[in-house]
Amino acid sequence: MIQVKDLKKVYSGVIVVNIPQLEIKKGESIGLVGNNGAGKTTLFRMILDLIRPESGEVLSNEKPVAGNDHWKDYTASYLDEGFLIDYLTPEEYFYFIGGLHQQTRAHVDDFLAGYTDFFNGEILKRGKYIRDLSKGNQTKVGIASCMLQTPELLMLDEPFANIDPTTQFRLKAMIKEANQKGVTTIVSSHDLNHVTDICDRILLMEKGKIIKDIATNSTTLSELEQYFAIGGAPTPAAPIIDEEENH
Amino acid sequence: MITTFFKHEFKAFWRSKNAGKNLAVRIIMSLLILMLLLYVVAAGFLMDLILKKVFPHDSLIFSFCGIVLVYFVGELFSRIQLQELPTLRVQPYLQLPIKRNTIVGYLALTALFSVFNLWPFLLFWPFLFKVVLHDEGGLAVISFMVSLFGLSVFNNYLALYIKRKANLNGWVFLVASAVLILVIMGDTSWHLYSIRNISYLFFGNLINHPVLALVPVLLGATMYYLNFIYLKQNLYLEELSTKKDKYKSSTEYPVLSYFGATGDLVASEVKLILRNKRPKSALIMSLFFLFYGLIFYTNPGLKHNEWMKLFAGMFMTGFFIINYGQFMFSWQASHFDGLMVSKVSFVNFLKGKYLLFTTTSTVAFLLTIPYVYYGWRVLLVHFVMYLWNLGVTVNIVLYFANRNAKRIDLSKGASFNWEGVGATQLILSFLLFLPPFIVYLPFKLLGHPDLALATLAACGVAGILTRGYWINFLEADFNKRKFAILDGFRNK
Repeated sequence: MIQVKDLKKVYSGVIVVNIPQLEIKKGESIGLVGNNGAGKTTLFRMILDLIRPESGEVLSNEKPVAGNDHWKDYTASYLDEGFLIDYLTPEEYFYFIGGLHQQTRAHVDDFLAGYTDFFNGEILKRGKYIRDLSKGNQTKVGIASCMLQTPELLMLDEPFANIDPTTQFRLKAMIKEANQKGVTTIVSSHDLNHVTDICDRILLMEKGKIIKDIATNSTTLSELEQYFAIGGAPTPAAPIIDEEENH
Repeated sequence: MITTFFKHEFKAFWRSKNAGKNLAVRIIMSLLILMLLLYVVAAGFLMDLILKKVFPHDSLIFSFCGIVLVYFVGELFSRIQLQELPTLRVQPYLQLPIKRNTIVGYLALTALFSVFNLWPFLLFWPFLFKVVLHDEGGLAVISFMVSLFGLSVFNNYLALYIKRKANLNGWVFLVASAVLILVIMGDTSWHLYSIRNISYLFFGNLINHPVLALVPVLLGATMYYLNFIYLKQNLYLEELSTKKDKYKSSTEYPVLSYFGATGDLVASEVKLILRNKRPKSALIMSLFFLFYGLIFYTNPGLKHNEWMKLFAGMFMTGFFIINYGQFMFSWQASHFDGLMVSKVSFVNFLKGKYLLFTTTSTVAFLLTIPYVYYGWRVLLVHFVMYLWNLGVTVNIVLYFANRNAKRIDLSKGASFNWEGVGATQLILSFLLFLPPFIVYLPFKLLGHPDLALATLAACGVAGILTRGYWINFLEADFNKRKFAILDGFRNK
């Protein structure tokens, strides 16, 4: 599904992403973990052709993403609020996204009816624009709009960060279910419990490199905990440019 | 503390991503301003000669007293149009242990650093020293100086107050300009009163009663205080004047669905314009500028001046293209990432812009049809310029849109969000006015004004017919710059 070849991104002399080779197969569920500044969001953005890599390329279904539009037909993603049109009401936004995929309003309404619990009555018909919603509720809108596109590839950047515990569990179930239907999922998170729970393959990033690529099993969680507790402790001497928090 | 603010402001300017562009614009601006100032200084030194020439029967001081107030009324008008609002991103300072009065004081005080405040001194002081000092003595000069200062301060803060209000609500600008125009018309056209006489009444008495100089000072102080209070109140709440908890309903525009995917994009852009204060006031302003023709066409001296018709026609039918288009695609900066990864083809995106501009321009043209009262030729010129705007101006605007990577945050309230408002943008937009005159000029000089109009129309029609080509050109151009634009838009 996704092939990464010699991908490199440099910000003011510091290599923030450096991945010689990575292959993600159709139907896999990938969990991306790493401390701030490890390059997770930058990698996401390069897969989505939002920033230009210094070298290398990303292939989606054997075709480069850069300069092509084919991947937009089957890829749904939510990285941050910058993906939402914030002066629309949530309904208008869903109709807009649905319309891009030739879905009728009735179809979108049907789809949304299935999300009543997920939205918990705080999204639809509240008379608010997306910009008036809380950050957690904006995340919900973003995630739901991804699902609405019935993607083959789903990419979520720290989807658990702003949402309440109940929704976190619901979201986990949603991702698992999508995965069982054959959707390839790439999810980044700081919550090790969540990623080990929903992903069969964990990629651990440090300073732009994938230093661990492990299939999830019963020891994965403790392995990761060990890394983050001791091995991955940042050395205060070297300042880390935090791309995620500073964008 | 105030010096720290100055330092931060300075850093913000130099470290912004668009510093280069800002700087170039600022250099051009300061050159223009310097030139203007030179003219003003010259006018100031020659004022006694000028006054003698214009009012040969009156005494020098009498005619001088007459023009001061006239000047200040004119100044207020140009201030409202041109003066830039001083900015400071106050939010990061609000929760720090800095007194509110310091922040507000800084904002209010820096407002005085405007070239407009130099003008009265450059213009009137030479005369005061050359003539008034000689004829009426030192005390009169000082009282003149004090009252000139008071009036400048008054004008300064009145203009800023109106501009701040106008940022929240576009109608304020309309009403304020209309009132000022009526005040001026009341004198010049209808002769209900004479600003000159009022001016003479005050300044003539000032010579004998220097205490009167305190009146303008008092007015200035009051206006400053009003500004101070207004800013201070708005420091608490971003959006004081809008009811936040109003129910926002979903809307749709069935007409646009006729245009398919392009129509959907336009529908969401129409919502962008109507639901955000800044683009909304751009729209209201373009309605207001439909009256600009009155200024030109009612003036008998300009009746047979086709340049003016050209200018007015372009302005009226294309104001929205210019005023809204100059900030393109910045309006959509906050969700541009989202647009890029969703299934929106850039061709449709561009087609949407064309559709939007075509619609607004057509509406503007239809609304200017009543100007046919001033002759069929006026209507013809408007139509030619309408074609020009749709065929040429639109393409230029979109070409420059590909070169604009400055973020505009629509979700911020308008009250402290003044980026890009003022003279700089106005001058950029004036660059759009040159090409039609370049086309028009040679034919006119050779004595074929009709041929000139025909050529302009032909350019417009050619531009409209070759839109497919321009769309492909702009798409290729955009793809080259895409990442820089995206990066700029992400840079909050």
